[in-house]
Amino acid sequence: MAQKERITIPVSGMHCAACVSKVESALGDVPGVERADANLTAGNAALVCDIDRVDLPEVEKAVRGVGYEVPWERIELLVLGMMGTHCQDAIEKAVGELPGVVRVQVNLGTDSATVEYAGSITSAAQIKRTIRGLGYQVSDKGTGDSTLDREREARQREIRSQLVNLAWATPLALLIMVGTFQSYAVLKDILPDVLNNKYFLFALTTPIILGPARQFFVSSWNGLRRGVTDMNLLYATGIGAAYSIAVINTFWPDAGFGGRDATFYESAALLTWFIVLGRYLEALTRGRTSEAIRKLMRLQPKTARILRDGVELEIPADEVEAGDVCLVRPGESVPVDGVVLEGYSAVDESMITGESLPVEKQAGDTVIGGTINKTGAFRFAARQVGRETALAQIIRFVEDAQATKAPIQKLADVVAGHFILGVHALSLSVFLFWFFVGYDRWFESGSGMIMSPYTLTDVGVFGFALLMSVAVLIISCPCAVGLATPAAIMAGSGIAAEHGILFKGAGAIEAASRIHTVVFDKTGTLTKGEPSVTDVVPAPGVTPDEVLRLAAVIEKNSEHPLGEAIVRGARERGLDLPDAASFEAIPGHGVEASFEGGMLLLGNRKLMAERAIDIETLLAEAERLEHEGKTAMFLAAAADGRVRGLVAVADTIKPGSARAVQELRRLGIGAVMITGDNRRTAEAIARQAGIEAVLAEVLPQDKALEVKRLQAGGRRVAMVGDGINDAPALAQADVGIAMGAGTDVAKETGDVILVKDDLLDVVAAVQTARFTMRRVRQNLTWAFGYNTLTIPIAAGVVYPLIHQIVSPELAALLMALSSLSVTLNSIAMRGWRPPVRRGPDAPGLPAEATAAPERAPAAATGAGS
Amino acid sequence: MPETRYRVGLLSAMLYTSVSLLASGAFLLATVATGDYTWVARLGGTTWVFLLSMIILMPTVTPWLKRRLPS
Repeated sequence: MAQKERITIPVSGMHCAACVSKVESALGDVPGVERADANLTAGNAALVCDIDRVDLPEVEKAVRGVGYEVPWERIELLVLGMMGTHCQDAIEKAVGELPGVVRVQVNLGTDSATVEYAGSITSAAQIKRTIRGLGYQVSDKGTGDSTLDREREARQREIRSQLVNLAWATPLALLIMVGTFQSYAVLKDILPDVLNNKYFLFALTTPIILGPARQFFVSSWNGLRRGVTDMNLLYATGIGAAYSIAVINTFWPDAGFGGRDATFYESAALLTWFIVLGRYLEALTRGRTSEAIRKLMRLQPKTARILRDGVELEIPADEVEAGDVCLVRPGESVPVDGVVLEGYSAVDESMITGESLPVEKQAGDTVIGGTINKTGAFRFAARQVGRETALAQIIRFVEDAQATKAPIQKLADVVAGHFILGVHALSLSVFLFWFFVGYDRWFESGSGMIMSPYTLTDVGVFGFALLMSVAVLIISCPCAVGLATPAAIMAGSGIAAEHGILFKGAGAIEAASRIHTVVFDKTGTLTKGEPSVTDVVPAPGVTPDEVLRLAAVIEKNSEHPLGEAIVRGARERGLDLPDAASFEAIPGHGVEASFEGGMLLLGNRKLMAERAIDIETLLAEAERLEHEGKTAMFLAAAADGRVRGLVAVADTIKPGSARAVQELRRLGIGAVMITGDNRRTAEAIARQAGIEAVLAEVLPQDKALEVKRLQAGGRRVAMVGDGINDAPALAQADVGIAMGAGTDVAKETGDVILVKDDLLDVVAAVQTARFTMRRVRQNLTWAFGYNTLTIPIAAGVVYPLIHQIVSPELAALLMALSSLSVTLNSIAMRGWRPPVRRGPDAPGLPAEATAAPERAPAAATGAGS
Repeated sequence: MPETRYRVGLLSAMLYTSVSLLASGAFLLATVATGDYTWVARLGGTTWVFLLSMIILMPTVTPWLKRRLPS
């Protein structure tokens, strides 16, 4: 059974949801491709495919066949040591056989190799390693193109191309417009008659049709040949119809299409101009929604300084190998992930984790590639390199999130995909209605066209019905529908990544925006996951420090977690801890040790009872501490039988846990704690975190069942836990949130990965998801609302009342404005921060982020079991 | 595989062209039967109906046939 893999390929030139359908349909036909999801805004397509069967040139051919381009990554290498054509052949064969390489060309004369490849399958470093493995020296020629460069290049090409079209169409369209109005009012006296000459207008309009408008005819024909339609078809039929009528009325004025006074040259010209202007503005602005991923890509260090055989070398960062010792000076970027060997510094990790304060690093600490070293110098051993670094994985996550489709987008794409056919069917119905019924009943000679100088005096039944039909075609263009979701998802996933929150797919964003209940795993998620000293209660006449010091002396050689917590607690308070003369663990009871000539005991009530220690004075305190879920241990001197004090140890909640629960409640989300601990301990921790619903004494394998039980009550549940131990529960939840991934992003299961170990990021994730989906809904409402409102007007529903019809140029203007408004609404997301990350002085939370999801089925009570 | 594609392409083209011709023919007949239209309006309308029918049917018929014909 062949392994199915998911790869992403870049696709440029898509403009609308119909383009997306077209690309998906073409890619779906390529042998080996099981599923294809194209993303308009990201300019790529995610393929689920059998990597051994799929032929990338075939993939490229399929995409180009429907009128789009595949800007593969490209690298140019300087290859030294080639002796003849056999060397050339050997390199071409070896590199060409690497999975992901599309084409390779080796030039013996210039000692160079140019390789085009899919960056999601292989890497430049892999290609260089392969050539080096054949015995040649290889280095960058410095002209290689990363995905970012290629994507920018493709966008620039699109912008340039539309700018040329605009420069071509603008003066001609203006002249045609002026010429059309020449016979009106004072213009008649100012402007020469020739401007309004129909042959002159024909001469001006034809270059627009053959130049800037040509793209619509070519693209729609490419699509139709393969049995798919896109919005270019709407433009082509609209422009084609307006131009054809104008030509007929110019050369055969008596043909009955309205005569010489009804040449729609300005319609054809302005229609083209508006569409080209819309595309130009869209190309300018569309790239800006993906700013976050650009920022991440820019973080990737270019070079690294490493020590090899005692020599310091500067090499490209993607050539660092695991185990290499890297040197980092103040102000430099950490090239790859690794572990500090020596040195001390503070590293700014904000770009990866969102943590605003620099993090101190010393021997044994991990460092993340792409972060900035601030103060000192250090050496570290590379652990994760190339595509395995946290940064590379984060970029892949964000790219994947942007390449996948949220359920709401799938629906929008299906609607938009069928929309064009529906519009043509509607256009045909409108034509038939006005031809056979409407014209005779309602047409009035002298009717006007909005935004056009013409009155419809001489228009016959065919011309009138055709105008209505064409206006419907143009005004219905669903490009805004296609942009609505991906533009907002792209911006939202980028914002999240900037704060160390990684959504696995657009579906995770949508699901996170709709949750009712968050289930927190206790140990390691709500709590620190390791015990620490919480209370020290001295007996009369003894100081707390003395109690803790003696307890720590006894436990100094212990390996029990509770003992380690006491020793750590004493050290944190700066207490001196000499060695005990002897130490003995008493299983199930405690420990005893000989110190300064006497025997000391530390343990539970059972131990105290066995050694006849009177604990009456501290019994009430011990019970209180145990009620709070803490483990209380008595300290006593065996010689005099007197209790010296109590030390309580417990797993404590993390600093942000209580606030996170409180913030979730403000968002209308209930919190539940799940743990294998006994109910008393669990409830004590839950009280501190402000959680009312507790699921205690749940075995690890039953956590998923508890999540399922909550879901059975109609709740949409998010589970927050350790991505490895809680994997089944994370998988069962509607949204699995894995905490504290650090550099092991890819190993985590769950739909949302939090790089930092901070529960407030759960709140930030929900706020970002809600904010993003609110924008998606705004965009969709605007896009569909525009069509719903304007199509009936274009179809002539209000014509019998106002005797005005929508001119094709007005239809084009409205269509362009709708796409632009959707794009601008998404761009406006930039700079937004989750309210919970705005600090204590943050203004009131905006409704967009705080609004509760749809009503939860029941309050989060009674969850305990 | 290319043979199947060719067969699907040919059959689709025959099918959508025939149906579009039928639709435009029906339109022409309707104009003759129902009103006093000029021949320009009749022929112009027939052409427009044929064009829109082709546009509607081309992307509908081709995938439909692809699904129905064994690969």
